[in-house]
Amino acid sequence: MKKSLIVFLILAIALTSPLFAQGSKEAASPKVGFIGPMTGDYANYGVLSNNSAMLAIEQFNAKGGIGGSIPVTLVTEDSEGNVEKGLSSIEKLSSSDKIVGLIGPVFTGVSFAVGERVQNEGIVMISPSATHADITAIGDYVFRTVVSDGLQGEVAGRYFFEKLGYKTVGVLYAKNDYSQGLYEGMTASFEAAGGKVTIAEAFNVGDKDFKTQLTKIRTANPQAIYIPNYTAEMAQILEQASQLGMKIPFLSCDGFSNPEIYNLAGGFTDGVIYVGPAKVKESPAFSTFVSQYTAKYGVGPDSFATNAYDGTNILLSAMDKVYKATGKFDRKAIRDAVAATKDYAGVSGTVNFAENGDLVAYQGLYKVNKTTPEYLGTFTVVDGKLVQID
Amino acid sequence: MGIAEFFQHLMNGLTLGGIYALIALGYTMVYGILKFINFAHGDVLMVGAYIGLFLFDWLRGDSPLGLWTLVAFFLAMIISMGFSAAIGMFIERVAYKPLRKATRLAPLLSAIGVSFILSNGAAWAFGTHSRKFNYPFDNSAIHLGEVVITPHQILILIVSLVMMIILKIFVDKTRMGKAMRATSLDQGTAMLMGISVNRVISMTFAIGSALAAVGGILIALDFKVYATMGTMMGLKAFVAAVVGGIGNISGAMFGGILLGILETFGVAVFGIPTGLKDTIAFGVLILILLLKPEGLFGKVEKEKV
Amino acid sequence: MFNFFLLILIYSGIYALMALGQNIITGYGGLLSLTQAGFFAIGSYATAILTTRFGWSFWATLPAALILSAFFGLLIGLPTLRLKGDYLAIATLGFGEIVRNVLNNWDSVTRGPMGIQRIPMPDLFGFTINPYKKYAFLVMVFIFVGIAYFIFQRLARSRMGRALSAVREDEIAAQSMGINITTYKVFAFILGASVAGLAGSLQAVFSLSVTPGTYTFMVSVMVLCMVVLGGMGNFKASILGAFIIQLISYFPQLTGLSSVIPPQFKQILFGLILVVMMIWRPQGLLGREETRYGKKVAKGHKGGAQ
Repeated sequence: MKKSLIVFLILAIALTSPLFAQGSKEAASPKVGFIGPMTGDYANYGVLSNNSAMLAIEQFNAKGGIGGSIPVTLVTEDSEGNVEKGLSSIEKLSSSDKIVGLIGPVFTGVSFAVGERVQNEGIVMISPSATHADITAIGDYVFRTVVSDGLQGEVAGRYFFEKLGYKTVGVLYAKNDYSQGLYEGMTASFEAAGGKVTIAEAFNVGDKDFKTQLTKIRTANPQAIYIPNYTAEMAQILEQASQLGMKIPFLSCDGFSNPEIYNLAGGFTDGVIYVGPAKVKESPAFSTFVSQYTAKYGVGPDSFATNAYDGTNILLSAMDKVYKATGKFDRKAIRDAVAATKDYAGVSGTVNFAENGDLVAYQGLYKVNKTTPEYLGTFTVVDGKLVQID
Repeated sequence: MGIAEFFQHLMNGLTLGGIYALIALGYTMVYGILKFINFAHGDVLMVGAYIGLFLFDWLRGDSPLGLWTLVAFFLAMIISMGFSAAIGMFIERVAYKPLRKATRLAPLLSAIGVSFILSNGAAWAFGTHSRKFNYPFDNSAIHLGEVVITPHQILILIVSLVMMIILKIFVDKTRMGKAMRATSLDQGTAMLMGISVNRVISMTFAIGSALAAVGGILIALDFKVYATMGTMMGLKAFVAAVVGGIGNISGAMFGGILLGILETFGVAVFGIPTGLKDTIAFGVLILILLLKPEGLFGKVEKEKV
Repeated sequence: MFNFFLLILIYSGIYALMALGQNIITGYGGLLSLTQAGFFAIGSYATAILTTRFGWSFWATLPAALILSAFFGLLIGLPTLRLKGDYLAIATLGFGEIVRNVLNNWDSVTRGPMGIQRIPMPDLFGFTINPYKKYAFLVMVFIFVGIAYFIFQRLARSRMGRALSAVREDEIAAQSMGINITTYKVFAFILGASVAGLAGSLQAVFSLSVTPGTYTFMVSVMVLCMVVLGGMGNFKASILGAFIIQLISYFPQLTGLSSVIPPQFKQILFGLILVVMMIWRPQGLLGREETRYGKKVAKGHKGGAQ
């Protein structure tokens, strides 16, 4: 008796629960979705980018919102960094919230799965950080405001060989999609240029002790070590390398453009050369963004968060344009408006999308002096050749 | 491999093992008395590290490295131990005590629930970013020929050794320790002998959690403080405790160091790809369980018919 | 909204398969195993690799996934079943972590952290079972759940079920009655592993992509929770448990609550439910299904005898 009562109660709750949500439906305010890991091991990357999306939308609404009168709502869903939850998130955003556009997902693995869904549903998606070369090949609704591993790795490999003159490089990378993608991209172009990656050591997400790997690399004695990782791990690597008394120069990636690194790694950042987003000349936009962001959330944005801010603003202005022209939020029209983005002056630089939805971008080279990055120049690779833009 | 490299790897393995041992001691303590895997141990460690971090930063203020920073550090550690002990006792009271008579599974799942609450609660309250725990002393490397070691690594080894000895004396020599051993053997009989089993168990959790706080703070110096810091570390430390013979205090120490050295040498000497470090740890665990299910130092428990 | 509910049902079905397997291992065999995530992953990757790399059809990969995970079930089962209680839990947990670790590192086969994408949708006589249009997929999942339920229910009432129950209650007594403990334990393990592999296959063609990050230790814990919550040793309860746990974990998204509360709260809520559940009703919602032999057992017997 008691049992059947329990079963009945549960079924009753399950079947009526959709009713609770009805109240929250508002047709007037268009919704933008965000998917990223908000809990779990990767939570920090999701949270930082989500902050950016929130900030962009808040500023947009403060200026009056769409057409000067309609505010936009951001709906954030947690992917927990896995495909299962990523899919439930996009399902919820598309069928319950009827979002008109999506910012995210933050990581490559989830982006592949979610990308297939948005392509099928016809929702435009702008990822701030899915770097895998094939992401944008999913279809014409998938965009990103981050350069692919391909380009960043290519510039890195060529630059290390041609400009820095290294013949041998060691790599210490994490077994996640971002880090491994950069490692593979850099290795391909560095070896194509004529160099050799003499040792490549990996570690698992969550590892904090890299002394074994570093000792092995030290024995192999490459001319430099490339560490394409996230901020916290890089801080850890630099600190432990110095504890081991290693004097080999370090090379890095856009994860280094998160100012948090100087807080975590302190004095160990001196001399690191890294590839990051190209610097916008004479533009205060970036520093304004960083100070607003830091004031609001207490921590600085990383490069993905910077990309997320641009991505959100591009999506918002596309929505604005479409609404002004048609008075509706047609998903297809918004997708077309995003694709038509031309020379958008973002905080991460000038944004243009290539035919396939990839970011057309140059790469910036930086050298850290104590704890301040100094700009070395803007580069790109054309037909397998390194070209300096300025 | 050169001699210098060999010793460097040995040193790395030893200190990594010291960290495992430090956490394993707390694990083994609770398991030894209660026969219950406290999955939330790693998360208590994280809470202890956060408390230690906030206290230390507050006590230290802007003062430069020196005697005061050291004093502040140990003060912070002791206060954090107290807090963590209280938290441990509270968790036991609320989430485990009602389950003492239930099946084995119930407290295990309850502990996993507690672990969820603690780690996500911390992420919500303190944010998801890593925080730096500044060294209270000068941590520049000490060179022994070509082999390098840091004061922090030495500290970890010393602290885990001292803790092991204190724990052993406590359990073997004091009245409370005797009560603990009695409870561990047979709760019912212990109760009949006039031992307050509830108090003993509470005490066990208090000590285990205080040990976790020490481990958390010492690890945080090197590994930073963040909400999920205890999860994988806790799991590995648990492996170490099982390898050494869970419930056995010197076994936990030995197991921790063995695991650290095996992980290091597995990838350094035997050429196993470094990404497979965890496979080594868990592989060793399974192997040892198969060959010697009671662990290297454990006692064989005969099943009575 | 309704679409989202269908998604929960599909996930429930996939997890129900794993829970059925866990139930035969833990509920009937009394073996505390924490390794369903490992078999789930093996099944998923088998389907992913065979379809994308070797052009197999989904239906052909099903038996492959089943056999492969059953094989690993045997491999891990044979030696570890000497272990008892918590030790077995830890050893199996270790196995699950090893599977994930290997998948994440064996780049040439599994593509490591990149995962495998573009898994083709299953095809049945020219009709594509499209995971975007969920009805067909839901029907397919529940046909599998039904089959597994039917087979397991029959097995549980057979000699095997009785033998397993005997082993669970008292190994030594069972042995002296002439029951070959190891055979039955290993058999339970293999069965449990193979349905988890099947669940993995379904998961792969539902999400059309696999990454190692999906198969964490948490999956094993969830599956165990489903069995315990429903009631150990009761297959209906396992399916109910799977549904309830999925409903709880997706409840915030289903009701739109997830966009209002901080993301950590749903995890905290899950933790709280675990603790409260264990304290309030450690025997599960439905409790053990007592099979009655011959005469009806007197009503006074309510499990409190131990």
